[in-house]
Amino acid sequence: MLPVATLRVLLVLQALAPPTGPAIPDVALERRLAAALGAGVGDTIRLGTAAGTFPWRVRVAAVYEPRADPAAVPRRESQLVVHLPDLERMLGAVDRVDRFAVALRPGLAADSAAAELNRVAFGFRAHPSVEIASESSQTFRVVSRFHRAIAVIAIVASAIFLLCIMLLKVDERRLDAAAMRLVGVGRRTVFSALLLEACFISAVGSAIGVGLGWLAGSLVNAYYRRFFETQMVFALITSDIVWFSLGLSLILGLAAGTVAAWRLLRVQPLALWRRE
Amino acid sequence: MTVHPPFKTGRARLMASSLPLTALRNLQRHRGRTALSLAGIAVTAAMLLDMVLLSGGIERSFERLLLGRGFQIRISPQGTLPFDTEASIPESGRLEQRIRAVPGVEVVAPMLGGSLHALRGDSLVTLFGYGVEPDAQSLYELESGADLMPGDTTGLLLSGPASRLTGARPGDTVAILGRLDPQLMAARVERHLVARGTARWLYDYRGQPSVGIPLPVMQALQLERAEERVSAFAVRLHEGVDVDSVVRVLRREVPEVEVTSVAALVAGFRERLVYFRQLSYILATISLIIAFLLLSTLLTITVNERLGEIATIRAIGTSRGRVAAQIIFEGAFLTILGGGVGAMLGMATARYLDRILTSFPGLPATISFFVPDPSRLAAAAAVLLLTGSLAGGFPAYRAASLSIAQALRMEAP
Repeated sequence: MLPVATLRVLLVLQALAPPTGPAIPDVALERRLAAALGAGVGDTIRLGTAAGTFPWRVRVAAVYEPRADPAAVPRRESQLVVHLPDLERMLGAVDRVDRFAVALRPGLAADSAAAELNRVAFGFRAHPSVEIASESSQTFRVVSRFHRAIAVIAIVASAIFLLCIMLLKVDERRLDAAAMRLVGVGRRTVFSALLLEACFISAVGSAIGVGLGWLAGSLVNAYYRRFFETQMVFALITSDIVWFSLGLSLILGLAAGTVAAWRLLRVQPLALWRRE
Repeated sequence: MTVHPPFKTGRARLMASSLPLTALRNLQRHRGRTALSLAGIAVTAAMLLDMVLLSGGIERSFERLLLGRGFQIRISPQGTLPFDTEASIPESGRLEQRIRAVPGVEVVAPMLGGSLHALRGDSLVTLFGYGVEPDAQSLYELESGADLMPGDTTGLLLSGPASRLTGARPGDTVAILGRLDPQLMAARVERHLVARGTARWLYDYRGQPSVGIPLPVMQALQLERAEERVSAFAVRLHEGVDVDSVVRVLRREVPEVEVTSVAALVAGFRERLVYFRQLSYILATISLIIAFLLLSTLLTITVNERLGEIATIRAIGTSRGRVAAQIIFEGAFLTILGGGVGAMLGMATARYLDRILTSFPGLPATISFFVPDPSRLAAAAAVLLLTGSLAGGFPAYRAASLSIAQALRMEAP
């Protein structure tokens, strides 16, 4: 097992003028923090655990872009990475860590290793990474469930809207349908013509909808990337989503077209003509 | 032909009073279409209602939670929010004295939070411990049994989940362990405390096993050295004292800590949950657009179908205003009916959506995302009604500006 220890702590930072003195510890600054402090590689900053006192001088050895983490984005916390012995010294917490990350030899099961550690554990608990990932993704599962529920409401609203529009659209064609029937065009042909029209409107509307969705997704991404200063993707339109939307709107359009055309063709052509 | 100005003469008043009946009759002509439109408006109104509840609900709920015990200010380690990190405030006793000395401050409630362990048989169970001063606390409401008393050093308050986890009831003694040493396989501190009662911890997430312990005991269980250290303070001010001015004084007097008013905490919370607020605005706007499009399409087609009829009633002396009012009223009528159904539907979906969102891990169980605010709801209803009426604007204009002769010619068989 290869243990990696971590110690998280709140540090107060103060930007400082050029470095002085030998062998000061190196730190890596998150890009956003470096920008906020106006510090770059080679600069020296001072650290402290309370406002007003900055007893430790450190050198910025690297500026890094942190991995996009949806859990951290809304918190807008800034991070810097310090060598563990340096941080222990700064905090006066020698030989003390928050947690260990453990890499197992190939072939060893994480579950059984964690169970073995927990069997003898006292004051700590071992968790397989999968379990931690599952726990930490709980937030996103909740958001995902919320999105799905909202999507269902949006789909119901859109479906009713689509049905209504298609019914009205086909209903508007009743004079044409009556005329076609009166000059001898068969029911099936009129029905097919109305259905084809409904299909065409649904297909064009769906294509425009996909375009609008893509545009809205791009705007959402541009806005939130700027807002949270991150490269994360907030709105992702996958091919599955596109096919689902296209399929659903086509099915709804066709269903509405069928119902409306069927209702229209049940009525005698003369009666249709008179209704107009 | 003389056209009377609408709503001025007795006949016009009579006609105005018949607007609802006429609208109802017109809508009954195509029942299926009307029902579908009502369903569409109901769903969009439900969505609008939900989004209005969501837009500010969490903030109101959070504010209510923070002010529930009457403490208007929180003091936490510099750069943090209370209980947001594991950072703590040293020399808390002296700091408390300095805070108390600030004019306007009535009560200062120190608190220390952290993990503790309890023995149940041979097993250890992990609990969250709150160190409190019983006579000044902002964290719990007593549910059963007795409260901790000032000076009590052997008492303990349990949350429901902690009671179930430890198997302890009021009156039982619980062995609480602190500062476990994995190398020595022993706890450095152990206290046998008597459960005085059970309490509802205001900031606990659902199922959190919490215990309340007198602050000095908690400090002994948590801290390496004998010292006065707390996670945060809650401050209650005398009635009528301006919170912002006391916050300014506190920031000047105790610069080594973070002084935050509840209003600022709510603002910080709002910042973190900005996504939900923006989502609610976007979806509410989309709801209104869909309602508008649906109604305007329906009314436009209805007007197109009734051109001959409209031309006829214009020809017998009905004014343009009356015709336009009729169309706009139909839109408003549909909106009111659909909105009514939508309000009921919206309340049901809000409860369902709230159940989803309140299952966020780590969120206080007392928080709600969908909280009604009468003024916002009234504004949303007014906007929906206005949207419904505006949706009738174009068809109403078309109907009112109709050339009678041309329409009658077009409609002639």
